[in-house]
Amino acid sequence: MFSRSVFRGLAADLRSFTPISTSTAAPLRQRAACFHQTSLLRTQQQESSSQSSPTNPDPPLSASPRAQTSQPEVQHSPTVPSYDPSSPSSTPKTRADVPLAKQPVAPAFESPLEVSKSLLSRLPHLVGQSPHYIVAELHARPYLLTEGDHVRLPFLMPKVKSGDILRFNRATALGSRDLTMKGSPHLDERLFECRVRVIGVEAEPLRIKEKTKRRQRHVRQVRSKHRHTILRVMEVRVKTPEQLLEEGAVVVEDSEDTSRIEARS
Amino acid sequence: MPVKGIKTVSAARNGVGAFILQCKRLDFHYCNYGGSSRGMLAFLTQTLPNFARENPQIEIRVSPRHSKHPVIRGHYINGREKAICVRNLEPKDILTKAMILKDASGEKLKAQKKPVTSLNESVRGIWSPYHGDLRGV
Repeated sequence: MFSRSVFRGLAADLRSFTPISTSTAAPLRQRAACFHQTSLLRTQQQESSSQSSPTNPDPPLSASPRAQTSQPEVQHSPTVPSYDPSSPSSTPKTRADVPLAKQPVAPAFESPLEVSKSLLSRLPHLVGQSPHYIVAELHARPYLLTEGDHVRLPFLMPKVKSGDILRFNRATALGSRDLTMKGSPHLDERLFECRVRVIGVEAEPLRIKEKTKRRQRHVRQVRSKHRHTILRVMEVRVKTPEQLLEEGAVVVEDSEDTSRIEARS
Repeated sequence: MPVKGIKTVSAARNGVGAFILQCKRLDFHYCNYGGSSRGMLAFLTQTLPNFARENPQIEIRVSPRHSKHPVIRGHYINGREKAICVRNLEPKDILTKAMILKDASGEKLKAQKKPVTSLNESVRGIWSPYHGDLRGV
């Protein structure tokens, strides 16, 4: 339906122009703001904390207020997109500190979202009936999630820090008590929003497996201790038909390969 | 009249609204004399200021402990604590140990088979044989 790889290639071309001006970067940045609000969100929190620190005369070793609120109201794009690799700071504080090549690429859709008439007619019922569940996929594994769930991934997710917000964009089903929206095989990511927060990393207890060889009295012990990323589901939301049409969805006739909403029998 | 407890309306679910890091304090213990603290002393002077600056929500205490191996001890919101001995480690490795303590939840390590744990009721309810249509096999 859409391919990010095409856009990634395009974005790489864009970046290859070394003196990239703010005017060319601005629309890309704004689209990034609307699709990937969350990654921006974290940077803003850090930005605000870094802004507050000079006014605060505390020494760096003292503790400061701990809570991070999740929904900031104002979203302003950072003004300086340049990145100075010679600066000694180890972790970037804002989006401006992240090199252009490493910034998240906003998804580029080749075609507008196609919604069948029957789905559009049943969507208000699904939206109105909460709570919702979602069968989201991550590395081809399904996770049935509702809001507030605690997820322990079977792997350690690289390049995330605790406090980061991720958006799951691949789901096979999303439903409420009586209605289920099913994809074929996946739902379009523009139909819903599912956000999770990285809470931390947990380890499992040390596993010791005894390995033996024949006719030898030696027993080898193999130790392993896997680490898991812990997530918390922040929101599972279906978009309303009005929102979809506002974002440029196209209404088409029903067919086999469009998503559909099924009632429970 | 018997005293009735107040029923809890909601359980605390960190990260749904606000996110609070579970590690609240890190204690760094070192020895000025012992050779196993050499890496720790380098860590305290070189790496720790940056680490503390990046994690302003964690209180950091540094204290000497004579003729003992160096230890990092994490204190968590749930009241538990975790300690990691960092004897003879390089500053780089000590930083990874500090990151482990920072990201930990403070709970005891548990094996877990199911990835998702939910406090919510089942969205679709429990299946009943008396409701819904009859379906042919």
